[in-house]
Amino acid sequence: MLRQILKLAYYEILHILKDPILCLMVFIAPLAYASLFGAVYVASVLNDIPLAIVNQDNSELSRDVVAAYRNDPHFKIIAEIESYEELEAGMKTGKVRAGVVIPADFSQKLSQNGQTEILTVYDASNLIWGYNIRKNTLEVVNKFSADHTAAQLAGAGLSKHEIQNVMNTIDCNITVWYNPTFSYVNFLFMGLIIMILHQLGILGVALTITREKERNTWLQYLTAAIPAWKITLGKCLPYLVVNFCNYVLLIWLSSQFVHVKIQGSVFLIILLGLLFDLIITFAGFLISVYTPNSLMVTRYIMLLSVPFFMVSGYTWPHTHIPELLNGMARLLPSTWMMEGFRLVTIKNLTMTEVGPIFLIMGLMAFLFTGLSLTFRKQSLPPNTDDLAVNCGSTYPRE
Amino acid sequence: MRNVMLFVPLLGVLLFAWLYSAQSLNAIPTAIVDLDHSRGSREFADKLTGAEKLNITAYLSTYQELQEAIAGGRIVVGVVIPKNFEQDVALGRQTRVLMIIDGSNMVYATNASAALLEVTRTVSAEAGIRTLVGSGMQLDQAREAYKPIAFREEAWFNPTMNYAYFLVLALILNIWQQCCTLASAMNVIGETGMKSWLQIKASGVSMTRLFISKSMTHIITFMLMVLPLYFLAFRVLKLPLQCNFGVLMFFTLLFVIAIHSVGTLMSSAVSNAVDASRLGMMIALPSFVLSGYTWPIDAMPPLLQSLVWIFPQTWFFQGLNYLTFKNPGGDFMLPFYAGLIVTAAVCYAISIMLQMWREKLQ
Repeated sequence: MLRQILKLAYYEILHILKDPILCLMVFIAPLAYASLFGAVYVASVLNDIPLAIVNQDNSELSRDVVAAYRNDPHFKIIAEIESYEELEAGMKTGKVRAGVVIPADFSQKLSQNGQTEILTVYDASNLIWGYNIRKNTLEVVNKFSADHTAAQLAGAGLSKHEIQNVMNTIDCNITVWYNPTFSYVNFLFMGLIIMILHQLGILGVALTITREKERNTWLQYLTAAIPAWKITLGKCLPYLVVNFCNYVLLIWLSSQFVHVKIQGSVFLIILLGLLFDLIITFAGFLISVYTPNSLMVTRYIMLLSVPFFMVSGYTWPHTHIPELLNGMARLLPSTWMMEGFRLVTIKNLTMTEVGPIFLIMGLMAFLFTGLSLTFRKQSLPPNTDDLAVNCGSTYPRE
Repeated sequence: MRNVMLFVPLLGVLLFAWLYSAQSLNAIPTAIVDLDHSRGSREFADKLTGAEKLNITAYLSTYQELQEAIAGGRIVVGVVIPKNFEQDVALGRQTRVLMIIDGSNMVYATNASAALLEVTRTVSAEAGIRTLVGSGMQLDQAREAYKPIAFREEAWFNPTMNYAYFLVLALILNIWQQCCTLASAMNVIGETGMKSWLQIKASGVSMTRLFISKSMTHIITFMLMVLPLYFLAFRVLKLPLQCNFGVLMFFTLLFVIAIHSVGTLMSSAVSNAVDASRLGMMIALPSFVLSGYTWPIDAMPPLLQSLVWIFPQTWFFQGLNYLTFKNPGGDFMLPFYAGLIVTAAVCYAISIMLQMWREKLQ
């Protein structure tokens, strides 16, 4: 029994090794994509944001404001921009992403209780800049305001201890859980890794039967006295092993070299990986059985990558996605996997808390495995009413 | 293929417009744990209720409940008002309010952090003034001592921080460029890989004429595909467009030629249509992340900052951001036009050389 399965698996491995692009896709592409995205996000936090300060006042107070921004590691002051017009031009061309404008009579008006204000502008055409600059600016402003108030209170004759008492009457302690450094790597990277594993994992196995169909060898499988479940297991076994190895390898690399926060129970991470592996491998097999050719599989699977990632709620939150779309996204294994992985590795939750996710993924794994093992051994009639190159088999060069 | 070309980008418009229909990130789910149950603590909670972007969705009884709600993702911001809050404030004693943000989703976390920072500045100032008055200082004096510096903020180019403005058009065009890559990956192999290729060769049709005719058809089709997308984006969804539409179309045309050249290169480099599609998509898929449209190029490692400009998608998506939000002028856009033209010239040249080499081998 096992021998037949292993022989089919061996035959599939030979196919993979003989096809350089498939080989690349199965063994190298996950690693290459992970390395590439790792390099993109390795900085993890936006520092050195180019900031222009238009200091039209040039008083001691305005210089304190400049110093407050200069001392903040998130900003890098671009000194050559000195006027509002230059700031406008710099913002348009991307030379600077934020600006602070201190009006000419700022210090004087402030001392005379007149209306004056410091203007902070930021580039919201890219909201990663926009959101981060806004947060960082508010941190600088709050710190500067606190220091300024402390100086004023000291000027009013209060002792250091009294100043501290007054200013900390209500001490608002803002704590960020799970990702205290606001790291984009912790936030985004593993979502991308899961999508890489999902898409390449499905694509690799999805070509296994279409290839046989294109070579007219699928008929041999259908007519051979081998039960469907053995064909499925034989064909899927190499992909089950490789997909799981890729999962483990990419997690290790992400943790070691990209410094992604991966906490939580190792058992749960492995269990998630196993369920995900079963789902994507057998889903890929089913696609392969019921799709006429490799070209169609390649096109549609690739095109679905971005929509699957976006609707998952991994970046733009579920709460702000229409309910119906959320419901549709819940039918996709990638949505559950990304959420489950985040809850286990970032939030360090236990089985009690993430049980429903494991249950749903378990059901999905059961469904896809069951359907794959019991596929009907029948050949679909060929599609003849379309251009051959687009829906038929591949055409190797003469 | 015709289904991919006709429907996939349009489905992309529908999907992404629907996905980001909330447009801006407001109403961040917030919970308050009021352990004091006093008038003072309720006043404090009211200030949070009025905070921009925060939406108080739950009043929880214990810290443990809050922990569970944040862990389960039901709550993003939690505020714990301690016991004796009102009494401590009244007596001028220090009291600590704990504000927790779930940092696992940065879109939430950065917005929540900004919202809380705004609240804390106001709250601290008011409490400080009250303490000064409590210690015997006149109200005017206390206000004078606590005189705040007014800071005003302006988000330029996208004043409402609209996420749909930022991302929807780029995502639609990302799907469109993937479809274009798939189609152009058929440019050479779609003919040479078919048995009818021998007929074409025997008919004596000029290869240059055949290549130009096919490529022109592809490029015109890609441009026709983008027209309804731009119509829906700018007319129906009212996404921002600062530059002249003609300029955008010219820029898009250059990108179409560049992306077609990349597809053509893939098409001439491999031995069958599936491999051409695979290779084309292996470049098209990560190109959006690498283009710096979301995570900025400036934040990437120095070597990668240079390498990403190899991809025509980087020139296109960077240029698209400038044209739609900022319109920085023709001179500024020249390198972007040049980048796409050079990409096209290089890829077409390599494709022709590869094809000539193959012909020689045969």
